[in-house]
Amino acid sequence: MSKTISNRWWIHAVLLVLLGLTLYPMVFMVLNAFRTGLATDITPFGLPLHPIWQNFSIALGEILPAFKQSFIIVGVSVAGILTCALLSAFAFAELEFPGKTVLFYLVFGLLLIPGFLALIPLFLEIRNLGLMNSVWGLILPYVAGGQAFGIFIFRTFIKSLPDELFAAARVDGAHNGVIFWRIVVPLSWPIVMTVAVLNIVGLWGDYILPSLVLAAGHQTVAVAITSLTPPPFASSANSFNEQLAAFTLSSVPIAVLFMFLMRFFVRGVTNGALKM
Amino acid sequence: MQEQSSITVSSMTERIHSARKRRPINFSWSAYLFLLPTFLAIGTFSYFPAIRALVGAFTTWNGFTPPVWVGLSNFVQALQDPTLRQAAVHIFWWALIGIPIGLVPPFIAAELIFHLRSSTLQYLYRSAFVVSMVVPGVVSLLIWQFIYSPTGLLNVLFKDLGFPGLRHAWLANPHLALGSLILMGFPWVGAFALLIYYAGLNAIPQDIFDAAAVDGCEGIRRIWAIDFRLVLPQFKLLLVLSVLGVSQNLLTPLLMTDGGPGTATVTPGLYMFQAAINNDQYGYSMAIAFLLFVVVMTLTVVNMKYFQTND
Repeated sequence: MSKTISNRWWIHAVLLVLLGLTLYPMVFMVLNAFRTGLATDITPFGLPLHPIWQNFSIALGEILPAFKQSFIIVGVSVAGILTCALLSAFAFAELEFPGKTVLFYLVFGLLLIPGFLALIPLFLEIRNLGLMNSVWGLILPYVAGGQAFGIFIFRTFIKSLPDELFAAARVDGAHNGVIFWRIVVPLSWPIVMTVAVLNIVGLWGDYILPSLVLAAGHQTVAVAITSLTPPPFASSANSFNEQLAAFTLSSVPIAVLFMFLMRFFVRGVTNGALKM
Repeated sequence: MQEQSSITVSSMTERIHSARKRRPINFSWSAYLFLLPTFLAIGTFSYFPAIRALVGAFTTWNGFTPPVWVGLSNFVQALQDPTLRQAAVHIFWWALIGIPIGLVPPFIAAELIFHLRSSTLQYLYRSAFVVSMVVPGVVSLLIWQFIYSPTGLLNVLFKDLGFPGLRHAWLANPHLALGSLILMGFPWVGAFALLIYYAGLNAIPQDIFDAAAVDGCEGIRRIWAIDFRLVLPQFKLLLVLSVLGVSQNLLTPLLMTDGGPGTATVTPGLYMFQAAINNDQYGYSMAIAFLLFVVVMTLTVVNMKYFQTND
């Protein structure tokens, strides 16, 4: 009861102002995605009383291929990240083998290498491997890039499982593969979902690497929406609103994801795994 | 001969024996199989390019013909490069102004949410702030491009408020462009920082607040004396992440201004990117990345040392 400052009205006032200042660009985007260019010019925050759905059909026509591309890349990458990281985390958490400490530090050290350092050589490597304009040119680096964080989180989780569980399985003669498949995988799925959500959010919005690796017309959503910018003399009076419709559409998958899996995201950020 | 071999045999049995004794039940050679996919991936796509970057910094390379070893000359060039110096100044201001802007509003929001009595309301506010995360970063930037455009929201706002003189071409004016980028989104409450602070506040044991209340330590004084002190580990984490984030800032200037007008908004990260992608100076680009890496690592280490906290 000693949360000493009680429910005073000013707390809500300040919070609502902060909320408004945080969300108004998004509100602007969604409202005007349904409006005409003229209406946007007159009242930038007016309500779409007569929603122009055509904006969305035009936008969708432009970015539908990019959606397909993004779904494939993000889906396969996240599956790869989770599989590899969980396998490794199991080995680091539960198994003993020569060189374990060194190998663990090799993984952990990746967290200290900032992304920009390897960006240019990575791009050249992708080019040399003939992976330009191939989804694998993104998927493979993404899988590598997700390992350190995933292994770190999974390892902590698997270590927190009761030792008796593993000991009992070993007494019953279970091999490591069986232990992994029958014990680790079923018990880990909540933390797996958490890491999945964090990775999906990150990869869905990634811009730089796809913009280098994929050619125009084969781009991911995050890159494709940047090239919708119309020429100075736009062909349609609503072209800006069509862009906003495309922006809104590009946010829909993450919005849907959050609707169902927000708790996994919030838990991932707040469960103390991220602390120094 | 006989003796020697018997020694060998006995020492071997001893070794096997002691190894057996030391080997725990979960000793396993198959562990390497579990690690194989990860190490194939990070070896090829993380370590190889990172090492390539560090070595490449000492070469000149156009990306096609083999790289030529040039020793330290890229670094000498970089340290004398006026554009890079300008970029370093830009990022200094960006850190100095941008990091507090990024870290303070979320703390205020987290503190206020934490003080709400109803946990339902706490949940609703947290969710409302998290909603901002569904918009991809690229989209936020593009919307801000519009907000700053000559006919954009900001100028409309100034006109409607009766200050038409305050209207500017925010991103096209070399004196305003950098400031506009730094202040973008202000006072934006970052959902990630908010959640981290909130988790930190929630982890504070209730007895501490009770004891403080008994001692008459309440309100703002309590926030400063207790809440802020006790979320220092979270603050430290966010600070380290912000320093890392700001110093490798590349996407914002790339999308918003491409470093322009002129070089008014160029950052070291963007300059590195442009050297490689626009000018094919891969060796020089990697040298800039190398220097940036050293600076970032130093800052991170200093950060962690200086803000030593006892968990």
